[in-house]
Amino acid sequence: MHCDLSPLLSIIKAMWLILASQNDASALWAFHGLRDRGLQPLELIFAEMLPFSLRWEHRVDARESSITITLADGRIIRNSEVRGVLNRLTHVPLQHLSGNPDYDYASQEYSAFFMSWLSSFRGPVLNPASSQGLAGAWRHISEWVWLAAQAGLPTPKYRQTSADDIDEMVELRKLFPAGTPTVTTVVVQDRVLGQSLTPEIERSCLKLAELAQTPLLGIDFAMTAVGAPWQFAGATPLPDLMLGGQPLLDHLARSLSAANGKPNS
Amino acid sequence: MILLCGIPSEPPLELVREALDRRGARYASFNQRRFASMSIELEIVNGQADGVLRMNGDSFPLREFSGVFNRMMDYRFLPELKDLPESSAERKLCRNLVDTLTKWSELSEGRVVNKVAPMTSNFSKPFQAQLIRKYGFEVPKTLITNDPELVREFRAKHKQVIYKSISGVRSIVQTLTDADLSRLENIRWCPTQFQAFVEGTNVRVHTIGKQLFATAISSEATDYRYAARQKGAPADLREVDLDDELSEMCLKLSEGLGLAFAGIDLKITPEHHVYCFEVNPSPAFSYYQSNTGQPIADAVAAYLAGE
Repeated sequence: MHCDLSPLLSIIKAMWLILASQNDASALWAFHGLRDRGLQPLELIFAEMLPFSLRWEHRVDARESSITITLADGRIIRNSEVRGVLNRLTHVPLQHLSGNPDYDYASQEYSAFFMSWLSSFRGPVLNPASSQGLAGAWRHISEWVWLAAQAGLPTPKYRQTSADDIDEMVELRKLFPAGTPTVTTVVVQDRVLGQSLTPEIERSCLKLAELAQTPLLGIDFAMTAVGAPWQFAGATPLPDLMLGGQPLLDHLARSLSAANGKPNS
Repeated sequence: MILLCGIPSEPPLELVREALDRRGARYASFNQRRFASMSIELEIVNGQADGVLRMNGDSFPLREFSGVFNRMMDYRFLPELKDLPESSAERKLCRNLVDTLTKWSELSEGRVVNKVAPMTSNFSKPFQAQLIRKYGFEVPKTLITNDPELVREFRAKHKQVIYKSISGVRSIVQTLTDADLSRLENIRWCPTQFQAFVEGTNVRVHTIGKQLFATAISSEATDYRYAARQKGAPADLREVDLDDELSEMCLKLSEGLGLAFAGIDLKITPEHHVYCFEVNPSPAFSYYQSNTGQPIADAVAAYLAGE
């Protein structure tokens, strides 16, 4: 009698991925922390090596998507074998093509390709790719402050005009002047880590992550004066994970191991 | 009040303006080329976005715009700006103007055709295909690779194969020919998208709100938009009716992608399999309306007017 071992084999082959830039200290910290918590095999793949992959094979049809990457160092990554992903890819580094007349075209093509690849994982991905960003949507500060207010967080007044003396290609708008003291909290799925918050603010942080469809979210609060209530100052899908300390690693490990990305509480 | 954004002589914008005139609807035109006489202020207080748009001496509170039709082009290519240096005051004003207007429209509670965020799914065709198939459509068998050998195998299996960009750049569909095989090594430096050719009838479906217009296209060209160039004769377009089930699928697809107005590219095979190639979030519907007489602009105007 034939015994189908493929389900068992797929479990044996299961791996976790961390996708990040080689300069991403948070990713390196998370790599060691998650490996110590038993997420093995855990592969750390730097964005800088992806364009030099020996082979990409991405197939899409009416029923499924698959992808196999053969990296230049010999590692082979199959999406079907990936149990969970810590995704901190922001862009596709193509410096080796700079000066090429097709650079802009190649850049658009690689970004579009990565967006599709990152959308074809079956397990939990923190953060999932969005059409507005490879590691979750990059939102303008006007959208963040609007969303934060919808989530119930205290927000400052935001103003933007056509006469503003700013080029957002080189300088990001901010809600508070440079130098304003801030604290950062990190949402990981259903937990808020890194700062002690009131239950109300904590619920609003979780709501903001939900509205933004960004399950791993850093949220900054400005402290404008001693004793004054904190105010929303910004948010990012690429928080400094180290701010959440060991509890963040514990919860991240549980989230990436859960079948649906949501750990049992 | 409805806000029309773009260059007034651009055919889709012009057709919608004429349709609004026929309805007697109130509208204001944000003519991108006259940016020098405009200004805008946006304020967000406690989650409410408001402000004022000033054009040619008139002031419009942003909250009064209950509908927005956005056909703005990339400001960098406006004739008034294309020869000016990047740091010029004119470029800065135009950039800030368009940027602030766009930021407000993203947060507007009115009917915006279309908001920018949902339009971005069209930036990656295979990404969008993974969304499309959730709505019950077939998507063509697709291979994206940098390995020429895999492409040869794919072509041997599917016989007729097309290739096209993965992103929205240089998006012209071409048939993979024997001559192309000799330059297949070029894909090693950038993964390229190949698809099994699907036989059947091209159908463009425009959805606007709950309304839908279907147009069948007959052409020998691989990409009917370029039929005159590829085959020496333009495509033939005619209005068609879709059955209720397919109509509902199209409307749900547009709604699911967050698009008030969409151009859905279908191919219906002789066996009645319905393939969806992509959903265009900024359809140049004038081409279809002028060939078939379908009242697409009237439907857009009605939607903007809140009907």
